[in-house]
Amino acid sequence: MAADLKFAKTHEWVRPEADGVLTVGVSSYAVEALTDLVFMQLPAVGRKVKAGESFGEIESVKAVSDLYAPVSGEIVEVNAALPGNLETLGKDPYGDGWVVRIKADNPAEMDGLLDRAAYDSLVGSQPH
Amino acid sequence: MNTLTIWWDAAADGPTNMAADEWLAAEAERRGSLLLRFYGWTETTISLGGFQKIDEARQIEAIRGVPLVRRPSGGGAIVHGSDLTYAAAVPKRHPWGASPQVFYDALHGAMVETLAEHGIRAWPHPADARSRHDESLFFCFDRRATGDLVMAGPASGTVSKIMGSAQRRLAGVVLQHGSLLLRGNTAVAGSARHPAVSDIVGGQSVPEETALSRAWGARIAHGLGVAVREEETPVVRGGDLGIEASSSRFRDDRWTARR
Repeated sequence: MAADLKFAKTHEWVRPEADGVLTVGVSSYAVEALTDLVFMQLPAVGRKVKAGESFGEIESVKAVSDLYAPVSGEIVEVNAALPGNLETLGKDPYGDGWVVRIKADNPAEMDGLLDRAAYDSLVGSQPH
Repeated sequence: MNTLTIWWDAAADGPTNMAADEWLAAEAERRGSLLLRFYGWTETTISLGGFQKIDEARQIEAIRGVPLVRRPSGGGAIVHGSDLTYAAAVPKRHPWGASPQVFYDALHGAMVETLAEHGIRAWPHPADARSRHDESLFFCFDRRATGDLVMAGPASGTVSKIMGSAQRRLAGVVLQHGSLLLRGNTAVAGSARHPAVSDIVGGQSVPEETALSRAWGARIAHGLGVAVREEETPVVRGGDLGIEASSSRFRDDRWTARR
């Protein structure tokens, strides 16, 4: 897992790209907890989201979970191949399993996210 | 976190019940404790899983004309009206809120014990047994997932699912609602009619709904080591809770026919 990732408490990861856009995905912890994914709904490109707002949903045999925007901004790209290949989320959650790319309104919002150590500490304290 | 609060709610239509379940989730997060709601239906109603296709429902002759409501949770369709329907909500920081299976197992395990008090033997569908997650199975009670409650019967050598639940995991809280198929629903037939506890136990009497739910609530509270507190005001009639206004989303075709 790359060290430059930041995490939301709601288990989304964020990676700043060279072009200033943020790539967002779901942590391996969250994917493992859901198990057996069956459906995913992605947002439309161009949609504006606010930090903490639901932008998509994942259904597993266990639960429906919301995906929350870690920062405010515009969805500029979605991983359209993902809903048809949900196993990618488990196999490569920090690579090919990326979910959306967001052009952030205020990149400083990244400062409010967790670094890897803090996120590991958060999920380590949660019972499986 | 040291109280389990329970509502025995008034019967309501599908959209009102779904809005009340969402209110329950928000309230559990606000209170920081487990909340439980038992409720009825003013008429036989099908609740669809959050991602089921509406066209599938419309093609099933056995449920033609039966009102539909789409749940915020996943899973298969349930025919409500003669079942024991519940919703429970717990903050994610609660020991039962951290992962999906823990909450299912806690509530379903307590139901196994409660039914056993009435001489009814049910057990959780085991993790190593073959699951039937096939999305082509429209009804919840045709599917099997780990922890679903099953019973032997009604025919010799068969096993029937009698209780299933589904979750919506929000940012800080988990909403779980589910159904114990206590009695058969005569408003539907064919593929929509599944063996109920009453069908399986034959001549044996089936526990009365309120007594069963009260005993189940007590078992759940015992498992947590907390006290039960009963709320008298029905959620669905709480004019100041905003249930009626928020039920409009569940009446809207943009929600019901979203897939």
